[in-house]
Amino acid sequence: MLPTRDSYMSEMIRSELADAVGDEHVLVDEAEKLGHSVDYYWMAEMWHDRGMRNPTPDFVVRPGTTEEVAKVLRIANTYKIPVTPWGGGSGSQGGALPIYNGIILDVKRLNRIIEVDPVSMTVKVESGINTQHLEWALEKQGYSTMHYPASIACATLGGFLAHRGTGVLSTKYGKIEDMVMSLEVVLPTGEIIKTLPVPRHASGPDLTQMFLGSEGTLGVMTQATLKIHPIPECRKFHAFLFKDMTTAMAAGRGIMLSRLRPCVVRLYDEPETKRLIKRVLGIDKAGAYLVFGFDGPREMVDFELARACAICREGNPEDLGTELGELWWQHRYKFFYPPFMFHLPQAFGTLDTVATFANIEKVYWAMKNTVEQNFTGVAYIGHFSHWYEWGCMLYARFIMDEPPQDPREAARLYNKIWDQAIRAAIREGGVINEHHGVGLKLGRLMKDLYGPAFVVLQGIKKTLDPNNIMNPGKMGFEGV
Amino acid sequence: MRSETLTNVIEACRFCFMCRHLATVGNVTFRESDTPRGTALILDKVRRDPALLQCADYVECLYRNALSGACRKHCVSSYDEVGLVLAAREDIVAVGAAPKAVAVLAETLERTGNPFGAAARTGAKRRAATTADVLYFVDPYAAHKQPEIAAAFLAAAKALGVKVLPVEGVDAGKALLVLGYRDQAAKAAKRVRKLVAESGCKTVVTSCPACFDAFKNDYPRLGAGFGAKVAIEHSGAFLLKVLEAKKPKISKRGKAKVFYLDSDFLRNYNGIVDEPRALLRALGLALLPFGTNPEESCACGEGAVVSDVLHPGVVSLLRARVEELADDPAHDTLVVASPYTKHVLVSGVRPLKVKTLDEVVAERIG
Ligand SMILES: Cc1cc2nc3c(=O)[nH]c(=O)nc-3n(C[C@H](O)[C@H](O)[C@H](O)COP(=O)(O)OP(=O)(O)OC[C@H]3O[C@@H](n4cnc5c(N)ncnc54)[C@H](O)[C@@H]3O)c2cc1C
Ligand code: SF4
Repeated sequence: MLPTRDSYMSEMIRSELADAVGDEHVLVDEAEKLGHSVDYYWMAEMWHDRGMRNPTPDFVVRPGTTEEVAKVLRIANTYKIPVTPWGGGSGSQGGALPIYNGIILDVKRLNRIIEVDPVSMTVKVESGINTQHLEWALEKQGYSTMHYPASIACATLGGFLAHRGTGVLSTKYGKIEDMVMSLEVVLPTGEIIKTLPVPRHASGPDLTQMFLGSEGTLGVMTQATLKIHPIPECRKFHAFLFKDMTTAMAAGRGIMLSRLRPCVVRLYDEPETKRLIKRVLGIDKAGAYLVFGFDGPREMVDFELARACAICREGNPEDLGTELGELWWQHRYKFFYPPFMFHLPQAFGTLDTVATFANIEKVYWAMKNTVEQNFTGVAYIGHFSHWYEWGCMLYARFIMDEPPQDPREAARLYNKIWDQAIRAAIREGGVINEHHGVGLKLGRLMKDLYGPAFVVLQGIKKTLDPNNIMNPGKMGFEGV
Repeated sequence: MRSETLTNVIEACRFCFMCRHLATVGNVTFRESDTPRGTALILDKVRRDPALLQCADYVECLYRNALSGACRKHCVSSYDEVGLVLAAREDIVAVGAAPKAVAVLAETLERTGNPFGAAARTGAKRRAATTADVLYFVDPYAAHKQPEIAAAFLAAAKALGVKVLPVEGVDAGKALLVLGYRDQAAKAAKRVRKLVAESGCKTVVTSCPACFDAFKNDYPRLGAGFGAKVAIEHSGAFLLKVLEAKKPKISKRGKAKVFYLDSDFLRNYNGIVDEPRALLRALGLALLPFGTNPEESCACGEGAVVSDVLHPGVVSLLRARVEELADDPAHDTLVVASPYTKHVLVSGVRPLKVKTLDEVVAERIG
């Protein structure tokens, strides 16, 4: 059990942490505790909104080097204190919440760009860097990570590594796991390891990939080497309005199966076209809005764009042209700013699911029917945002305008919607999820998703983290 | 409580992360509480339980804010995160919970008209007895720390044939206002208005963006506006207009390269981006983009007016950030619009090469 906050033992631990990282980097003030008690998870927001107390950390510890991270983890092992890594706190799954109090290990001071290698086009960087700052610094040198998530302004690189995050250009440049060459990781017991320097090898299973997506449960990722890209000569967009989602899906699938290489494909279902495309972009039309883009050398872009348009025209859509495609690109982040984003008192959740083309529409309908038929006053909208040669990601959302005022009742109802919708998706071959991660929100569903294979993950966790200090109670792993 | 009038801002910002990359203080302290989200979370708690205004940790955080306005400028809906902090500071002062350092500083400002507690160098009243078309208002950072700035403006004005009445040793009230002392700020504003009226000037010019913002935006709200007949100009814009009208011979024409660092008050509060750049170009200088992006505040706490006095530790981190963003900190010439920012940038262990717009003009046409 942790010592109480007013015991001298708490001061003893604080002194030891201060010795490891410097006095000014062990914070216990109320403002900082509050700031680390809410991330982007609706549950924590709602709890705060209803005047309830969210769990807060005992210490916010901010190491400035990998070695300091290692020292903190050794101290935590000695006293068996839970450690929760925190990057930008923008995760939507509650992964960074200090549910058992203990130490919040805020990694934002690990923000150095260590080396840009122009020969291999890679960058070695610390994991706490703000991703917009990284992108700006690279752009100044003529490069880009091509990682443009909607949370680029607020998240850290470590958060994306920990969640297997993705950006708007993923269809061409991949998700974060496709961008990483290698990692430096501090294991839960304090050893510092580096994974192999290149991502393609036949030297056993891929350790880099094992840590990616581990959400702070298997250690702290302190450095990563990423691929970088030259800034493309041009990037162009085009948009169409289809009569319905199914016809539009056929067009999107057609583009991917033809093996063209769009950087973006995004398809909004009819309700989201009506609700959000109208509100954010001002396009007030009924149907399913499809936008795509290509980048690279001008001739190639023009060629691919023309081929993609030809594929779309087979579905007889209304041609919205380049302008209404460019408009989407310019406003792509606007969807996430207040008041455009859903917000309390509404209850809302992103039912992020990925599946093959053969299953993705089945998943869409299974979730939609589950949500709309079993829960009154709950709307379901969705778009398909990250596309692969074999399928795509469904960014579905449920929205309840008037959830119960009682926080416990609201929490119960919220979880019930998730349980039923996600189980319906899994039954149709969907995987939860594609880029938001599991965290606290979906931990209980990991066994449904993995079946007997979950034991393998539990075994890895037990071996690497014998004292269960790293982010306990997340990803379906044991709590304290 | 004043902050209650901005509940819409609290509700927008408390769960929003979209401008954290521009949170001026948060970017250097790495604190969650030093972001608009962190501030809004605090004030969301306070609006439910006003007794929390006495929480020293919350109060400290609200006073650490540099009020750069970078987040508000970035925000697609322009939520007034700056106004929220200013309102909260007034609430703090109203309940007597201002930190001792803040109260002492406010008292110093009231007593001496400057944050340093220095005796005024020039008798304001004596100067005000004179009349002129152009009144040049000198702020404390120019008056007490860097007299070369006012000297440069006056030399440039003289070279351009503009007659100017300089006034210094008078508090514009801006620092009091940002510290939460509205009534005292209003009194200061009214004193300045009287002075301006007595001078009979048609234009008030200042090299201090904080004073410019106070005259232009705060004074009318405090019931101390100069009236429609008096134009208010930052010295950069004023000198640009005179240069364009008089087309003087620009000396030292060459390929000198400079980097312009935007002022918070000019860019983020008043949308003035082009004039300072146009001025530098008109002077024949090659202007290079500073840092990695055009949005981050590099004014070192200018928005909070007296940041260096109240939070020297934070200000040295802000200064280090500017150094980190500079291409070649030892050699680059940085041009700023603000005496405050110059003061901070030249006061570090490794002083940077910094000039104000006024000094550049004086050099090029002198
Ligand atoms: C407005 C908005 C838009 C978003 N859009 C996208 C999007 O387009 N694409 C996308 O992928 N996500 C998106 N997200 C979700 C979120 O930004 C990502 O999940 C992001 O990866 C979180 O990063 P963070 O630094 O904020 O991590 P945090 O929320 O601080 O932490 C997330 C998890 O990672 C762990 N962690 C953090 N750093 C480390 C580390 N160095 N080592 C080990 N574990 C660590 C934490 O313990 C936690 O479990 C969005 C969020 C918001 C608020
Ligand atoms: S100012 Fe705008 S972008 Fe920043 S936190 Fe508030 S609502 Fe979000």
